Amino acid sequence: MRTCFGALALLAWAGVAPAAEPPHAKASPAPKSSCIECHSQLDGEAAEPVKHAADDVHFQQGLSCHDCHGGNPDSEPDDVVAAHDEKKGWNRPTRLTIPLFCAKCHADAAFMKRFDPMARVDQLAEYRTSMHGRRNATGDAKVAVCIDCHGVHGIKAVKDPSAPVHHTHVAETCGRCHANAELMRPYGLPATEPAAYKSSVHARALYEKGDLAAPTCNNCHGSHGAAPPGLQSVVQVCGSCHGREATLFREVEKKKGLNLAPCIQCMVCHDNHAVQAPTDEMIGVGPKSTCTTCHGPSDPPYRSAELMAASLERLKVRHAEASDLLARAGRAGIEVGADQVALQKASDQIVELRVLAHSFDRERYLAAAGAGLATVEVGVAAGERAFRELRQRRLGLAVSLVVIAAVIAGLLFKIRDMEGPRPEP
Amino acid sequence: MSALGKARSWLEERIGLSALVALAREKRVPVHRHSLWYYLGGMTLFLFGIQVVTGILLLLYYRPSSGEAFESVQFVMARVPFGWLIRSIHSWSANLLVFVVFVHMFSVFFLRAYRKPRELTWLSGMLLLFLMLAFGFSGYLLPWNTLAFFATQVGTEVAGRVPVVGGFALRLLRGGDQVTGGTLTRFYGFHVAVLPAMTTLLLGAHLLLVQRHGMSVPPSVEAEAQRTGKPPRDLPFLPGFLLRDAVGWCVALGTLAALAAFLPWELGIKADPFAPAPAGIRPEWYFCWMFETLKLLPGRVLGVDGELIGILAFGLGALVWTLIPFLDGEKGGERLRRALVLAGLLALAYMAAMTVVAYLPGRH
Repeated sequence: MRTCFGALALLAWAGVAPAAEPPHAKASPAPKSSCIECHSQLDGEAAEPVKHAADDVHFQQGLSCHDCHGGNPDSEPDDVVAAHDEKKGWNRPTRLTIPLFCAKCHADAAFMKRFDPMARVDQLAEYRTSMHGRRNATGDAKVAVCIDCHGVHGIKAVKDPSAPVHHTHVAETCGRCHANAELMRPYGLPATEPAAYKSSVHARALYEKGDLAAPTCNNCHGSHGAAPPGLQSVVQVCGSCHGREATLFREVEKKKGLNLAPCIQCMVCHDNHAVQAPTDEMIGVGPKSTCTTCHGPSDPPYRSAELMAASLERLKVRHAEASDLLARAGRAGIEVGADQVALQKASDQIVELRVLAHSFDRERYLAAAGAGLATVEVGVAAGERAFRELRQRRLGLAVSLVVIAAVIAGLLFKIRDMEGPRPEP
Repeated sequence: MSALGKARSWLEERIGLSALVALAREKRVPVHRHSLWYYLGGMTLFLFGIQVVTGILLLLYYRPSSGEAFESVQFVMARVPFGWLIRSIHSWSANLLVFVVFVHMFSVFFLRAYRKPRELTWLSGMLLLFLMLAFGFSGYLLPWNTLAFFATQVGTEVAGRVPVVGGFALRLLRGGDQVTGGTLTRFYGFHVAVLPAMTTLLLGAHLLLVQRHGMSVPPSVEAEAQRTGKPPRDLPFLPGFLLRDAVGWCVALGTLAALAAFLPWELGIKADPFAPAPAGIRPEWYFCWMFETLKLLPGRVLGVDGELIGILAFGLGALVWTLIPFLDGEKGGERLRRALVLAGLLALAYMAAMTVVAYLPGRH
């Protein structure tokens, strides 16, 4: 999905004229033109496009002002009329026409291929499916268009860490509008999502751990086709990363012939933008349980949640005991490396239980917990065996030292007996 | 005649045991205020014997390949009855052996026991010391754990820096350009075949020379005897000295048993040649003083590689030290002797200090 942003970065440089022909692809940096010569001597808004030209990915690819805006770049620097000759295609896009303006190149597969054989050319089509695009098509000039995310001039490639659409900046870029309550009010949007996302486990992974695999806005909502995922899609959206949980969830639906989407979705337990790291307390009937949000003590699932939580807790407690026993035995010098490796399987089984909670299948869950417990008991037995051996070693040492001391005493007696008392000097 | 008497008579006819016993009974050990140092040779021999016995027992289970070495030692430690004891004693005894060898060497040096006609005894002793270090270096890698793997990489790199023969030495030790399973197999070969064979020959020569020349009496004791006209008291080697030796051996055995029971030798984590080198890599303690010195040397000294200067200095130092009996000959004056004693004290202090530095917290 992030590649969409990359393609869109190339999309919005400036200007209008959707009907104009795409410019020719060029390999070297753009040559000087009268546009640059003239605009670089101007002040204010008229000078802005030239200021950022050097950083612009289009300029770096050899494109220049007239490739998007038309006009005559060969005119005399002070001939404003000739430079902005509409007969030569000069144009300036409005917010409503910007998507078409950018798409004249970015929807042209043959043209884009010259710069990047892998370039996507469906950004406009996707945009039209987004809430932004749909409203833009109806004449709403306030909704986001290409330049709101990518910038106007000085557009950077999506892989450039300083680009506003780089993975690490997407949340701020979206937040520029979606955190603005005034701007969101007419659309009935709460403007709290960016702040909620910043508090999530996903944002912490991205910003604190620097994990670029952690999702940001566009990973769930799409880039150019940005829209809230429908209820039927939530499992698929979350499942694009949390695959096993989503598979288990869908299995329940298939097995029971249910459509759970309207009543239970990932976000019912995990929230959506403010997703937090799940805890084991979420399973069960305790104060932090998410099961009890919907199920009361009279519901059969309530009892299931209680049993599942108890089995997970027992497994964790015994696992901790086994780990501690083996660690202490290891510190005491007993070789328990192989037993510790075997116990790692139980750690995997605990993780598996946490995932299996998404199956809502009590029997399956308890069977897995039983298998984990069996592994853990082997570890406990190994730890106890190690401590028995430690005691035997200490006992063996004591006996050995007594024997050695007796031999030393015997030797000293023998020496004394042989040599007698040392004569006085 | 009893059965024992018959057996003795049978052996006497074939081997001439009584002549050997008579020879041993002739051997006498001087008794004076420095006699304690005489026990170090016997202690070294005893610990070497322990190494041979425990080493043979470990051989029954050890598998010298990168895929199985670690697991086989783990199996010895965890599953073989008393395997933990044998392996721990082998490791502790190896370290104790190196320590005792060094003390033995320094005691001989400071008591000037290398004087004529014992030059070859010193020479064979020094070669045995180098062999013990080689045993330690080769044995360190055999469990194939992370620390040993990277320490061997560093150690063999040092060998590779030696001018002219360095490249050859590096490939000879590693069996290639990198430390691999091939290096392990090679070190195993050195450890259980090449080095024992060389040690057996040199040890035989060393013991023969000790037997031939008897124990050296320190010059100070000799001078005192000359002054007083009373030669130092002596003790028959059999059984008096040997029984005292045995007391020391029993103490060593008890110490090894206690160390093995309370501080079993760690196995560590299996070596992963593709993993980055972990923090805290260092060689066995008896190489640490050299390791630390090489680390302290600047990259370049007067345009020459600093590490190379260090390696050459160690090589030259070892050579001079080995040839000490020929430098400190009869013609050498008192000033030379004092200079040698001072050099020995400085060397000892430097080695001890740098070893301590290597083990300071946060050093690695």
